[in-house]
Parts: sequence; C-alpha cells; structure tokens
Amino acid sequence: MLALQLLATGVVTGCALGVVAISFALVYATTKIFHVAHAGIYTLAGYLAWSLVLWGAPLIVAVVVSIAICTAFGALIQSQLYARLERRRATHLVVLIASLGALAVIQNVIAGVYTPNILQFPLAWSGEVLPLGSVRLTYVQLLTIAVSLAAYVGTMWFAHHTILGKRIRAVASNPMLADITRLQPQSVYIYVIAIASALVCLPGILVPMDLGLQPYNGVTPLLTATIAMIAGGVGSITGAFVLSVAIAVLQNLSLLVMPGEWSIGVTFFIFVIFMLFRPTGLFAAAR
Amino acid sequence: MRGTRFGMAALAASLLCGQANADTIKFGGILPLTGPGALIGTAEMHGIQFAVDQANAKGGVHGNKIEVQFEDNQAKPDQSVLSFNKLTDLEHVSVIFTGYSGPTLAMAPLATRKKVLLVNAGAQADALAKASPYLINTLPTIGDEIAVLSKWLVGEGKKQGAIMFENDAAGMSGRDDYLRSFPDAGGKVLAQEATQFGQTDFRPALLKLADAKPDVMLVAITAGLLQMAQEYHQLGLKFTVAGTTFFADPATIADPSSAGFVHTQLRIDAPPELAAQFKAKYGVDMEFFAKQYYSAAQIVLTTLDKVLSEKQPVTGENMHDTLLKIGKFQGLIPLEFKTNTASVPIDINVMRDGKDVAIKHIQ
Amino acid sequence: MDFLYSYIVLAEIYVLLGLSTNLLVGIAGIFSVSQAAVFGVGAYLVAHFLMAQDALPFVPSLAIAAACCVALNILVTLPSLRVAGDYFVVTSFGIQLLATAVFTNWTAGTGGANGLPGIPPPDILGLQIESTQQYVVLCTVAAGLGCLCFFLVMRAPFGRLLRAIREDELAVAAAGKNVLRAKVSAAALAGAFAGIAGGLYATFLSFIDPSSFDLDASILLLTMVVVGGARTLAGSIIGPFLLLALPQVLTLIDIPTTIAASARQLIYGVLLIAFMLFRPQGLAGERL
Repeated sequence: MLALQLLATGVVTGCALGVVAISFALVYATTKIFHVAHAGIYTLAGYLAWSLVLWGAPLIVAVVVSIAICTAFGALIQSQLYARLERRRATHLVVLIASLGALAVIQNVIAGVYTPNILQFPLAWSGEVLPLGSVRLTYVQLLTIAVSLAAYVGTMWFAHHTILGKRIRAVASNPMLADITRLQPQSVYIYVIAIASALVCLPGILVPMDLGLQPYNGVTPLLTATIAMIAGGVGSITGAFVLSVAIAVLQNLSLLVMPGEWSIGVTFFIFVIFMLFRPTGLFAAAR
Repeated sequence: MRGTRFGMAALAASLLCGQANADTIKFGGILPLTGPGALIGTAEMHGIQFAVDQANAKGGVHGNKIEVQFEDNQAKPDQSVLSFNKLTDLEHVSVIFTGYSGPTLAMAPLATRKKVLLVNAGAQADALAKASPYLINTLPTIGDEIAVLSKWLVGEGKKQGAIMFENDAAGMSGRDDYLRSFPDAGGKVLAQEATQFGQTDFRPALLKLADAKPDVMLVAITAGLLQMAQEYHQLGLKFTVAGTTFFADPATIADPSSAGFVHTQLRIDAPPELAAQFKAKYGVDMEFFAKQYYSAAQIVLTTLDKVLSEKQPVTGENMHDTLLKIGKFQGLIPLEFKTNTASVPIDINVMRDGKDVAIKHIQ
Repeated sequence: MDFLYSYIVLAEIYVLLGLSTNLLVGIAGIFSVSQAAVFGVGAYLVAHFLMAQDALPFVPSLAIAAACCVALNILVTLPSLRVAGDYFVVTSFGIQLLATAVFTNWTAGTGGANGLPGIPPPDILGLQIESTQQYVVLCTVAAGLGCLCFFLVMRAPFGRLLRAIREDELAVAAAGKNVLRAKVSAAALAGAFAGIAGGLYATFLSFIDPSSFDLDASILLLTMVVVGGARTLAGSIIGPFLLLALPQVLTLIDIPTTIAASARQLIYGVLLIAFMLFRPQGLAGERL
C-alpha cells in the first residue's frame, strides 16, 4: 500500500535526521553556538568513508576511520575557531558567520577534490531488498533505522549515566556556575563537539550509501534537523529525535495530497508559522 | 643567380603569407563541467575538443589553428549568461557551443542581439526550435521523439501512462509533449510527478506514480537516472519504464536494474577507428553526447572553411548565414538544415543484459 | 571595454544590495540569510510588469516592486522581533529556502526552473537603455542615489537611533524610544533597496531564474558586508566591488575551469573565517 511504504521510507529518513538533530542539539544546548559547519562534517564523513571503501577497506574499518577523522576535525573547529572567537568576546553573529565560512570551505574543498558529480558507494549489497509484508526496504535502510535508534539510546544513556554526560548537562544548564565550580566549560565544549561530530558521521555515511554523495547536500538535512530540535524543545534529546521522525514522515505522507516538489517548502512554511506563535517548542525543557 | 633571388623572394613571400594566415580562431563552449550535469557536459567538451584537435593536427583550417575556450556553467542559466557576455565581449568569439535547454534558452535572446552563432547538439526542449534565428540545433527537439515513442508504446498495448519529469526546461517540455502525444496516439495519462535536477531520492515520486497503476512510466529526466533505476528495482515495481535519448547513460545501461527500459534513440554512429582513438585519448567510450558534439564541431569547421574560402571575416553573422546556405552536412551522419533544427532518424532501443539494443528503426 | 562596464554595472547593483544587507544585519542587527529572496522578488516583479500584456514602463514597475519588497521585508523580519536571535537564524534560513521553493515550483508566476528569458531593456522617459555604456550611467545614478539616501538616513536622528539600539537596546527602550518601529523602518528601507536592485538586475541580464536568488547568493551578500565593512557606507561599496572582482582575478590564475566555481566559493568561505577571526569590522566598517 502506498501510504504504508511512504510511512516506512519516512521513518528511515526520520531516523537518520534524528541523529543529525540530537548531535546538533548537543552542541547548541551546551555551547549556544549555531554550528552550521556541522553540515560540513556530515558531508565529510560520507566522502571519507567512500574513499576508504574505494581503496579496498572493509566497510566497518572505513566507518571507524571516518569517525576518528571527523571527531578530530570537529574538535579542531571548536578549539581553533570558536574558542578563539569566544576569547575575543565575539558576538553570536560573528561566530555564526565564521561557522558559515567553515561550512563553505568544507563543502567546496570536497567539491574541488571529488568533483560535484553524484558518487555511488561501491557496495554490492547496498541495494538488496528485504520485503516486510507489503513494504520493501533495502538493507541499508534497515541498517539506518537500527543504527540511528542505537545512537539515540546510546546518547540518552551517556547524558544521564556517565560523569562526562552529567558534566555536559551541568555546563549546558548554567555555564557561569559551571565555570565557577571548575567544571571547565571550554574543555567540555571540545568534548561535546567531538562527540557530536562522531555521532553525525553515522547518518553522514548511511544516507549516501542509500542515495549517493553530493557535496552540497548537507545543508537541507541540517536545517530540517534544526527545525526538529527547536520544535521538540531545545535541551530535549528525545524531543529532537521524535520530531525528526515526525517531520520526515509528514513530508513523505504529504505526497498523498500534494505534488512532491512542495513538501520541503511546506515544512519551512509551517516552521515559520510555528516561530511566530510557539517559539519555545513542544517538549520544552525547563530553562 | 636571378633564379636564386627569385626563389628567395618567393620563399620570403610565401613565408609572409604563411605568417599572415597563422592566426588562431577562437570559439566558445559553455557547458556543465561540474555539478549534476557534469558527466554529459564533459563528454560534450571532449567531443568538440577531439574534432578540433584532429583539424589542428592537419594544419588547421586554411592554416589557422582552432581553439575552443570552455566555460563551466554548471547547467545554470545565469552562469551561462555571464559566460556568454564574457566570451563575446572579451574574446569576440563568433560561435559558441551550448548544451542543456535552460541555459540555451537563456542565451538565445542574447545570441540574436549580439549576432553570435549558438550551436546546440544536446538540448531538446521544444522552445529551442524558435528561440532565436541564431540558434542552430543539430538534433530534433524532444517533441519528435515523444511522438514516436507514444505511438510505439500504444501499439505495444501500453495505454495507461504516468509521467515523471524533471522540473526544468527540458523536463517540462517533455512533460507537455507526453500530455499531448500520448493521448493523441490513443493512450491515457493517469498521473504526473515532478523531480528536481540533482535529486537522488526518487522513491516518493515512484511510489506516487505507482499508486496510479500505470502500464508504463513516461520519463523526462536528465540526471539521476541510475538512482531512479535502482530505486525502481528496489521497490519491486513492475510497470514498463520508457524515455527518450536522455536515457542513453552508460552507467544506467550497465546496471542490471535497468533491464527492460525502453527509449527512443537518435541515431548517430561513429566509425570504429574513430571511437577507438577517442577511447585511447579520453579513457571512456565515445557515447551519444560525445558523438553529437564531435559531429557539430565538424559542421562548424566545414562552415568556417567556406567562410575563409570566400575571404569573408569570421563573424557570427557570416558563420550563421554560410551554415544555412551550405544546408547539407556530412558529420558522423548526414544532416540537413531546412530550418534551424535538423531532423535525424530515430530508433527504439531496449536495455538488456547491460547493453542498449535497437529493436526498431523509424525514419 | 564592454566587459569592464558589465563588471561595474553588476558591482553597482550589488552596492544597492550591500546597503540593504548592511541596514538589516549591520545596523539593525537582524541576522538575515534571506536578502537574496527579496532581491529575487524585486527582479521577478519588474520582469512581470515589463513583459505583461499591458506592460508598464520601467520606473513605475520599479516603484511597485520596491513597495512590495518593503512590505515583504517587514513581514519577513517580523519574526526576528518576537523570536530570540538564534531561533531567528533558522527562520531566516527557512524563509530563504521557502522562497527558493516558490521561485522554482510556481511555474505560472516565475517561469519555474526555466526562468524568464527575454526581459526587455528599460526605457526611462522615452530613452531606451540598450547598450552597456547606458547601463553604467543608469546604475551609477541608482547606486549614487542609494548611497546618498543611506548617508542622509544615518546622519539623521533616525540613524542615531539605530546606532544607539545597536549599542544597547535595553537602554534605548528604557529611554522611551520605539525600538520596534525603528527596526521595522530599517527593514523597510532595506527592502526598497533590494527591490530596486532586483529590477536593475533583471533588465540588465535580460534573463532571471531561481539560481541567482538562492542561499549561496544570500551568503555572498553577507560576505560582501563582512569583508567590505559592517554598518558603513564605504563598506557597502568596497565589499561588492572587491568580491565581484574576485572571479575575474581568478580567471587570470590558471585554475582548471572544472574547479573554478568551487574555488570561488571556497575563497568566500576563507574570507569569512579570516575576517571574523582577524578583522571583524571588515575593511572599512565598524565592529559587527
């Protein structure tokens, strides 16, 4: 049935988007920086993994190495760019523009090196399908759901049950107090971006395995994920993930009633209306 | 003594004449060298360059070396306009090669205004036929192919169609043609769905069209064909997939998920030695677009030869008038320009076992 | 020579856009990546009126387009006044992407992805502006008027009010001034500049399509303001002239044409980072 299949593909897209949302939310809630360059790391992960697989590495090795490199790169952006700007007491606008610049640099270096053509992952099994009743999903799509849910559970566990996680939540809720009580916010920021960069590698690799690689494809998912984060309430990991799935499913189901090219436009339109009337989101954490 | 002096004078004279002739004549090429259209654009560039290199190896045209300056427009119309102005104002080119309908339509009014010959060997939107007197199309517009395709499909019993089209000049032109030709041939259009240039997730569109339960999906997209084929296969869809010459993409043909795809194909062939030389030089097979632009470059060179023979200055106006005066050309296939647009024989091809095979010839 | 004139015309059109962006981002402090969308609306409106059944002459078309863009800009920046700075960032991105979606898909109104070709050249009081030299004159006049307007506004009490709001919004509000009205007025003026720039652009290129008014274009505008200098007249002029010269300079270096486009965008990105790190006030501006 059409609606069921659209729902299923919506869930797949939503899960991948959910991981982007929670990783971005982690950074934003803690550092208050609108880290648009996150879309660049998302894109970079896919291309790195692709190169490694092309050179003969097994997929799992490619994934691990990509995560390692992207984590380091994310930490680099924080320590060399954001931290410096913070020391100079730059305004939010300045940091945002710097992040935009970093995003442009990452995307265009990738475009220069890999060409802007659409690249495919050279994996024989990526297109294999598993029929589940009347719904057909590829192994990559199923893997996306599984990995994303695992990432969500892992992040929740990390935030609530580890010392670093609690430290991060403390810094997020009150940076000034954290500074005074020697929780060292700046080094926490580096940990946060590193973790977020590692997380975002997962959808960054899984989505292109399904749909191919293009250098400029990171911005729209990031923005949709940001909408999910805000609509779900900043500070709520669950809110971000759930809203991501909801938005993706809604976008897919909207095809039943309107032509496909309007679905993204409608998403942003609804968001703008949302911002006018309920800016604090649905699951707003107490701030 | 006198003979030697005479000989020296003659030698000197011929050297001088040779010097006067050794100019470089520059043409322009505005093609997508990056972006989703890059595969096709690069093939087109290679086709032109291949022909030009061959001509230069033989000493050029009337002793003049030919050079083509390529500009990357990423298949974007506004980039094309800027490049067009740059090539005409700075380099004073008389001929510009172009591909892709959107960019070509954008440049057409400028070509008329500035009297520059615009040569299109790849774009097929119907609007191109009348876009500018200075625009020459070496291939028929998509309307002809779709008329042939529609008649054949209905003849094969595929009467219920659903259209998938790309939201740009070429795709929308194709969609409009399907909406006209398919019912004319006796079929019925049940649904239509738009996709974007550069899009790779066709599942929602495929699912929506599948829901209308067509016999055949009528396709007018220029990029992402391989992804579409793979997703069609993954979703287990069973209707026939039909298209036009846009389908001639080597990666898609080689992939097993495209088995059974049918399409019209404008007939153009290259002699085996030429194809082998091309492959040796560029490392890829000489496929449709490379052949088209090789052929188009040859047409331009032939026209240039005539203009120079008649001692006329090489301007866009002269190249345009001379080309239409010559009218009949032998490129890779014989072409005739009764209007700005040439007409070419059309085949029906089907993709099988990694190959594209012609199953019917239509004149 | 013609090519130099084209560069000057485009630079002057972007000066108007630079003034617009500077008013919004630099002076009113409203982060916006949707200025290109307003620019686009201006362009499409003027093109529409010039090519309609009962075509309007150039100056009235420009006036109507400017008025619509004023209204649009006010509408578009209203959320920023209700919503905290960072949330508005996403809203601004959303507005730009929404605008691109409308430009691309509303084929009946905008020609969709095909764009609108064959826009006629403008005629001012019976004089046809056809050649590039005439365009230079037209655009210089337009840009000049824009700069004059900007200069006068900033000199006037309204300009001082805007400056004060930038320094300390709370204090200004406490002093009883209407902060909301000041910001909205700045946005309105910015809209007018963008709309006029759109009309000039449409007639100069004689062809417009959605790709000239997308997110990349908005980022370019932001880069111009950042590099040229925020909040000043000089910055609004230097930024566009410098950044539009960049592609020409690039062609002098032997970069393979296949990476030329991404090389250019890369340089814009590097410029943004470098200026934010080392000279946030740009070449001729005040601190952002």
